[in-house]
Amino acid sequence: MNSPLPPVRVEQALRLLPELEVLLPLRSLILSVSRPEEQAQWSSHGPYLTVGKRSVEPAELRQRAAEAAEQVKEHVGALYAAYVEALECQQRGEAGAAVNALRQAGAREEQAGRVEQARAWFETAQALAEGLQDRRPEIEVLLALGALDETLGRHAEAARRYQRALALAEAEFHQAGAIAACLGLGDVALGTGQWTGARAWFSRGMRLAEASGDLAASGQLHHRLATLARRTGDLAPAGEHLRQARECLEPLGEASAMARVLNTQGQVDAGLGREAAAVAAYREALAWARRGERDAGLEAIIRLNLAELHLAAGRLLEAEEEARRAEQVAIAHGLTSRLVQSYLLMGRMRGRQRDETGFVFFEQALQLCQTLERSPALAAQVYQDYGLFRTALGSRDEARAYLERAREIFESLGDTLEVEKVREELQQVSA
Amino acid sequence: MTRPASDASAGGSPAAAVGAPRVLVVVAESGILHSVRQWAPELEARIEFAPDLPHAARQLSQGGWDAVVCALGDRPEDDLAWWVDAVRGVPGTPRLIAFVDRPSMGLAIRAEQLGVPDLLPLPMRRDDLANAIKRARAVEAEAPMPLPEVGVVPDRQYALVGRSPEMLEVYKLIARVAPSTATVLIQGESGTGKEVVARAIHEQGPKANGPFVAVNCAAIPENLLESELFGHEKGAFTGAVTRKPGRFELARAGTLFLDEIADMSLALQAKILRAVQEREIERVGGTETLPVEVRLIAATNRDLKEAIAQNRFREDLYYRLAVVPIRLPRLAERGEDLLLLTAYFARQFAERYRKQILSISDRALELLRGHPWVGNVRELRNVVERAVIVATGTTIQAEHLPDELRAAEATLPEAGTRGLLTLAEVEARHIARVLAHTNGQIGAAAEILGIHRNTLTRKMKEYGL
Repeated sequence: MNSPLPPVRVEQALRLLPELEVLLPLRSLILSVSRPEEQAQWSSHGPYLTVGKRSVEPAELRQRAAEAAEQVKEHVGALYAAYVEALECQQRGEAGAAVNALRQAGAREEQAGRVEQARAWFETAQALAEGLQDRRPEIEVLLALGALDETLGRHAEAARRYQRALALAEAEFHQAGAIAACLGLGDVALGTGQWTGARAWFSRGMRLAEASGDLAASGQLHHRLATLARRTGDLAPAGEHLRQARECLEPLGEASAMARVLNTQGQVDAGLGREAAAVAAYREALAWARRGERDAGLEAIIRLNLAELHLAAGRLLEAEEEARRAEQVAIAHGLTSRLVQSYLLMGRMRGRQRDETGFVFFEQALQLCQTLERSPALAAQVYQDYGLFRTALGSRDEARAYLERAREIFESLGDTLEVEKVREELQQVSA
Repeated sequence: MTRPASDASAGGSPAAAVGAPRVLVVVAESGILHSVRQWAPELEARIEFAPDLPHAARQLSQGGWDAVVCALGDRPEDDLAWWVDAVRGVPGTPRLIAFVDRPSMGLAIRAEQLGVPDLLPLPMRRDDLANAIKRARAVEAEAPMPLPEVGVVPDRQYALVGRSPEMLEVYKLIARVAPSTATVLIQGESGTGKEVVARAIHEQGPKANGPFVAVNCAAIPENLLESELFGHEKGAFTGAVTRKPGRFELARAGTLFLDEIADMSLALQAKILRAVQEREIERVGGTETLPVEVRLIAATNRDLKEAIAQNRFREDLYYRLAVVPIRLPRLAERGEDLLLLTAYFARQFAERYRKQILSISDRALELLRGHPWVGNVRELRNVVERAVIVATGTTIQAEHLPDELRAAEATLPEAGTRGLLTLAEVEARHIARVLAHTNGQIGAAAEILGIHRNTLTRKMKEYGL
C-alpha cells in the first residue's frame, strides 16, 4: 500500500489550478479543507498565518473533490429540472408558476455564490413576468434582482428595481411586497449615504407594516432605523429603535433577526463607550445565531465586530483570538468576503503595532478578491485599508498608490460616500 | 412537550447564601429543572436558571458566576465547543459542567481537548452535580507565592531571561560570536527565542548602531518573498506600484535576520546563496547591482540536515549559513527558568495592562510546571499575558490559566465509584490531553508519552481519536 503523500500548502496547490469558472468550486474546496500546519501555532509565522499558508492533504482532497463534484452535479441537475419545470408550466398556460420556477433557480445560484448566473435566471423570469396580468410574480422577481444588485454594490440599478416593485405592489395592494420594496429602497439609500432618503423609506415601510400588523417586518424596519441612526451618530435613538425591534422579534423567536439586532446593539454600545454592554450584546447575538438555523456568515460578522471592539480597547490578544475564530468559520463555510474582512482586521491590527509583516494579510485579501470573490466593492475596501496600513508605516508613495486604486474602483461603482472618504485620506497622505 | 424554565433563583441551603458558589443551570427540560430545584438546598451553591442560550448569554454577561451547568443537544461536539467559547468570554471564566445523553469516548476526548473536565452523563444525578460544583470551588485553597526578581531591564521587549545551565551555554556562545560579523544559524523548536538571540547578537556586535531587519520567510507569500528580500522596480510585476527597496538594502550596515529559512523555495535559496557568496544583489525588474553590507543571521525550527537529505534545502547554502550554529533548548529542558520567565512576563504585562501582579499561587505554578510547553517560551508568554489580563487581584491563580492547562485538574478524586474511570478511559483521556497540548502533533505527543509513534497511532485509532 502506498504511504499517503505529504500535505501541500494552499498557495502551492492553487498555483496548479487554472483560473476556469468550472473549477471555482474546487478552488473553494481547497480552501475549506485546509488546516494550519502542525508547527504553525507557536512558530514565529503563526501570527501571520493566512489561508495560503495552510495545508491540504492530497488524499483528503481526492475524497472531498469527489463529494464536491457530486454536489455540483446535483446543483446543475436542479437547474436543468427548474428549466424543464418552467417550460412545462408555460406550455400548460401557468406562466406564474413558470416565473416562480425560474426565480427559484436564480435563488439557488445566488445561494451557491454564482451571482451573475443568478441574475441571468432572474432576468429571464422578469421578461416572462412582464407579460402577465397578475403582477405578483414580477414583484417577487424585482425584489430578488434588487437585493442581488444591492449586494454587488450596484446601487442605482437596485433602486430602479425596487422602485418598480413598489409601484406594482401598491397598484396590486400587495402589502408585503410594498414593505419589502421600501426596505430595499431604504437599504440602497443607506448604502449610498442618503440619510434623509433612507429615513423616509424606512418610515414609509414602517407605516405599512404597522397598518398590516406585520410584527416581523416592523422589527426589521426598527432594526434598519437603528442602523441608520447609528451611522449618523444618533446613538440614543438607535438604542430606542433596537429596543423596539427586540420587542417585535423576540416573541416571534426570530433567531437570526434577533442575532442581527443584537449585533447592531453591540455596535451602538461600543459607540457609546459601554464596552461591557457591547461584549454582552455580541455574546447574546452569538447565542441567538446558534439557536437558529446556522448562519455562518452572520456568526463571522458578529465575531469580527467583537474582535474590532477588543482592538479598539487595545486588547490585542482577545482581538486576535476572535478574528481567528471568524477566519476559521469563514474558511470552513467558504465565505470568501468574510475571510477577506478577517484579514483586513488582522492587517489593521498589525498596522497599529507598526508591524511591517502585516502586509501579508492585505496581499492575501487581494488575492482572494481576484480569484474567488470578484467583488469590486470589496477589492476597493482592501486597497483602501492597505493604503491606510502603508500610511501608518510611513510608506507614503505606496499608500497613495493603493488609495488611488480604491478611489478609482469606488468611482466606477458610483459609491460617492466612499469616494469622498478616500479623497480625504489621500489628502492626509499628501499633506 | 417541555416547559421552559424560568429565570428564577432556586436558592440553596442556608449555608449556601454567603460565600457559596454561584451556579447558572441552563436547561429547558422540565424534568431536569425539577430535579435541580429539589436538590438545590443540598448542593451548597446559589443556583439560578436560564431557559435557553440567549437568556444564558444575557445572565452570564453580568459576571460573578462560578460554574455553568448545561445539557448538550443532538450535536454534542458542536454544542460543547460553543459553550467553551461562550464561557471563555464571561468575566471570571466560570467552570463548565456539561451533561450529555450517552457520552461517547470520542466526546469525552473532545471535552478533554477543549479543557472541560466535567462531562457527565444524563440522566443527571445529584452526586455528580454536587461533586462537579465542589471542584469548581477548589480555587479557594490556593496559596500565593511571591514572584522572584528576574534581573533584566524590565522595559526591554527582547530580553534573555534564564539561569539554567543550558541557557548559560547559549550566553557563552553569543558572547563569543557577537563581536565578529560571522554568519550565524540559530536552530531550535518554535517559540524557543531565536529572534531574541538574534537581536542579542546584533546588539552586542559591531553593527549594533545599524538597523536590525527581520524577515519571516514562512509568513510571506512565496511569490512576494523575492521582492521583499531584494526589492523591486516600479512595474516589475502586477502590484509593484512603486519602486521599493528590499530588506537586504534596508538592513545595510546592520543585521538581516532571516527567520524560518527552511520555508524558502529552492529557487530563492539559490538567489540567497548568490547574495551571500558574491555579496551583491539586484532588485526584481532592475539592472543595477547593489552591494550587500549586512551581517546575516538565519534561523529555523526544522532539521536542515533532514531537509538536505530530502532535497528541500541546498547543502551549499547550509554550510554558508551555519558558520556558527547555535541550538536553543526547549523550555521543558530549562528547569527553574520557567518561574523566572513567568515572573518576567507577568511584570511586563502587568505594566502594559496597568495592573499589579506580585505573586502566583502554588496550584497555578504546579499547572505551569506540569504543562508540556510545545510552544516553548512563546506559549508561556501567551499564557501569562492572558492570566494577567483576567487576573483581578495581585496573584495569578489556576482559574486565570487557559482551559487546556486547567484540564489537568480533571481527575480529582471523587466519592463513590461512579466517578472513577477504567484504565482504558484514563489512558484515552491522557493521550487526548497530550495531543491537545501538542496541537495534534503525533511525533511530539509520542515523545512526551514515552511511546513509539506507531504505538500512539494504534492507540489513537483504538480510542477513536
